[in-house]
Amino acid sequence: MKIETFKYDNRIVRAFAIATVVWGIVGMSAGLLAAIQLFWPAANLNFQYITFGRLRPVHTNAVIFAFVGNGMFMGIYYSLQRLCKARMFSDRLSWLNFYGWNAIIVAAAITLPLGFTTSKEYAELEWPIDIAIAVIWVAFTVNLIGTILKRREKHLYVAIWFYLATAITVAVLHVVNSLEVPASMWKSYSIYAGVQDALVQWWYGHNAVAFFLTTPYLGMMYYFLPKAAGRPVFSYRLSIIHFWALIFVYIWAGPHHLLYTALPDWAQSLGMAFSIMLIAPSWGGMLNGLLTLRGAWDKVRQDPMLKFMVVALTAYGMATLEGPMLAIKSVNSLSHYTDWTIAHVHTGTLGWNGFMTFSVLYWLFPRLYDTKLWSIKLANWHFWIALLGMMFYVIPMYISGITQGLMWKQFTAEGFMQYPNFLETVLQIVPMYRLRAIGGTLYIIGTFMMAYNLWRTAKSGVFVPDVEAQAAPLSEQAHVDDKHPWGHRALEAKPLLLAFLATVAILIGGAVEIIPMYLVKENVPTISSVKPYTPLEVMGRDLYIREGCVGCHSQMIRPFRSETERYGEYSKAGEFVYDHPFLWGSKRTGPDLHREGGKYPDAWHYNHLENPRSTSPGSIMPSYTWLLSQKLDVTSLPARIGALRKVGVPYPVGYEAVALTELQTQANKVSTNLVTGMIHADADREIIAVIAYLQRLGTDIKNAPVKPAPAAPAVKAAAEANTAQAKN
Amino acid sequence: MMQKIVSEIGGIGIYGVVSVCLFFAVFSAAMLLAFLQKKTYLDSMSVLPLESGERRPEVKGRTRDE
Repeated sequence: MKIETFKYDNRIVRAFAIATVVWGIVGMSAGLLAAIQLFWPAANLNFQYITFGRLRPVHTNAVIFAFVGNGMFMGIYYSLQRLCKARMFSDRLSWLNFYGWNAIIVAAAITLPLGFTTSKEYAELEWPIDIAIAVIWVAFTVNLIGTILKRREKHLYVAIWFYLATAITVAVLHVVNSLEVPASMWKSYSIYAGVQDALVQWWYGHNAVAFFLTTPYLGMMYYFLPKAAGRPVFSYRLSIIHFWALIFVYIWAGPHHLLYTALPDWAQSLGMAFSIMLIAPSWGGMLNGLLTLRGAWDKVRQDPMLKFMVVALTAYGMATLEGPMLAIKSVNSLSHYTDWTIAHVHTGTLGWNGFMTFSVLYWLFPRLYDTKLWSIKLANWHFWIALLGMMFYVIPMYISGITQGLMWKQFTAEGFMQYPNFLETVLQIVPMYRLRAIGGTLYIIGTFMMAYNLWRTAKSGVFVPDVEAQAAPLSEQAHVDDKHPWGHRALEAKPLLLAFLATVAILIGGAVEIIPMYLVKENVPTISSVKPYTPLEVMGRDLYIREGCVGCHSQMIRPFRSETERYGEYSKAGEFVYDHPFLWGSKRTGPDLHREGGKYPDAWHYNHLENPRSTSPGSIMPSYTWLLSQKLDVTSLPARIGALRKVGVPYPVGYEAVALTELQTQANKVSTNLVTGMIHADADREIIAVIAYLQRLGTDIKNAPVKPAPAAPAVKAAAEANTAQAKN
Repeated sequence: MMQKIVSEIGGIGIYGVVSVCLFFAVFSAAMLLAFLQKKTYLDSMSVLPLESGERRPEVKGRTRDE
């Protein structure tokens, strides 16, 4: 048999590995600074670029797309070559993937603090960067499929199926959710509004967790765990079921992020049902991993890499049990908008993604540098510190979330709200925020220890840029293959068919959610009194987006008495038809703002934004002093009005010509109002626009024409009976 | 009320039923495919990560702790 000799590319793996460590430290540090600001708001040093609202997306994007993203490419580029017994399809594409992806991350690290954001969670980057992401993702996908096509191993191992599903699904999600109309270089408006935008966003957001944070890492687990344990995966059969069930079910579960909102009830129930079903494939995968260690648990004691892997799998198991539980509507009514969600996601990210990445890094570096790990002791120290850090993070967040959730819902025996002032419920959990920051600090210290250990490992060895390997070409292997290949085996030998079927599997769930979304679009009851925002309110809303207010304030009052008592009338789908993008939010560090309009005078908002503690003693909201001094940039107003019209807001043609005059008139009114509160503010400052927007929030339905109240059924029946009697 | 109107889009209830049926169809198909595979084949696939074709010993050198 002819044997070919070829070389695996280690350079690209090393590049991604180093980027993983560097971005991990950056992303986690951004998270720590954001966490500190939650009990010490002045930690932003009154520097607008690092306030909580702008820093949070820096943290989430850095840890998801920079840390886990580079970690994912590191794992894929190493394992794919070896599982296909082939070098990557194109070294140029590999490096385009590396430099392009990391340039995107640098662009994100610059633009997000500047306030260039779409505000859609985990999809905050503006349209030029969105296009760059699509291009680089295509380069990665071509390289992935190209490598698979030139492989020397006839059948695709389970890890590769997960990589394929990742490449396809992330592309679909990113394109559909990022459809937006640009108003300028760094400002765009989502083509979807309100309910539709929320549904598409959480179809994306949930599946970013599924297909960016989960499937590639499951693929890595299927490769690196058997490698480290020195034994095959526990059940290959189970991996087949795991793969198909997981990718099929995951895509449906997005609506569980929108339970009890204005999203149609059927979509909420569908999301809940599929979320519960997700336990089966998720736990199938976790058990397959843990059982791979059957008979090799002694190795776990000695090998820190396996320790990290075991905790990663356990955290995955906990998070994937907890997720479906949180998707049950009654549980969600308590957990939603609280720190419980934060605890849940950090079990997944710190435990599953973090520990899995650390595990693979500890395994890879000695192999890349042809040496042994510099210090196993230090790696063990890292393990325990990171584990302790994770506990110190998630346990206070559980306590905080449940405490606050219960306080929001607590009524006195007389039927009044026990804690009518939202701030009371915040002050109660501030100690938990301090503990969380300690947890985060410990976790980062561990990461620094790892970076040092890996650096010393690299120094003690010699880098092996190319690893020589041998295998027979596919053409030579055909004759030794089974003469009757069928079933899944045939599929594993046909990568394009497998990719096609995986695409169908993920599109079914997407279609079932998206198609009714268009039906909903035609059926969202329009409320005649709901009107488009005025030019000043548009600018104010864009500032609200720039400052990341949505990170702490929801705009979605759920139909519970505890919410309508606190905030006012519950939110209706028809109120959001001009909201491009929707700003429902997913966390209430501060109170909901949907009925904020008219609640306080303009001067209160001015004082509150200048120094939140002047109106709300003990508040943990940052001061927004720059809004008071910065001039509102109205040069892009006509373009913004034009872009909003393109996405469906019914501004009349030619409105751009009068928009500026209208803006100035309204700004002067706000400025005059402020004078009654002894405040003298120029009408051309940013704060005027923000106040105008806040005062508009949720007020439209109050202007609805008054209709005669419909008669109660009993009264109606009695009246009908009377009429009938009179006739007789 | 708004939620009620939206939830009563004509025939929308069928989506739930179709969805669950689809899930069971996919799940059953995956089970069938998995259980119809020969053990020899499954064994050969599950050891793939252990055979990289590399022409060098995996790791040499010593750790600092040794």
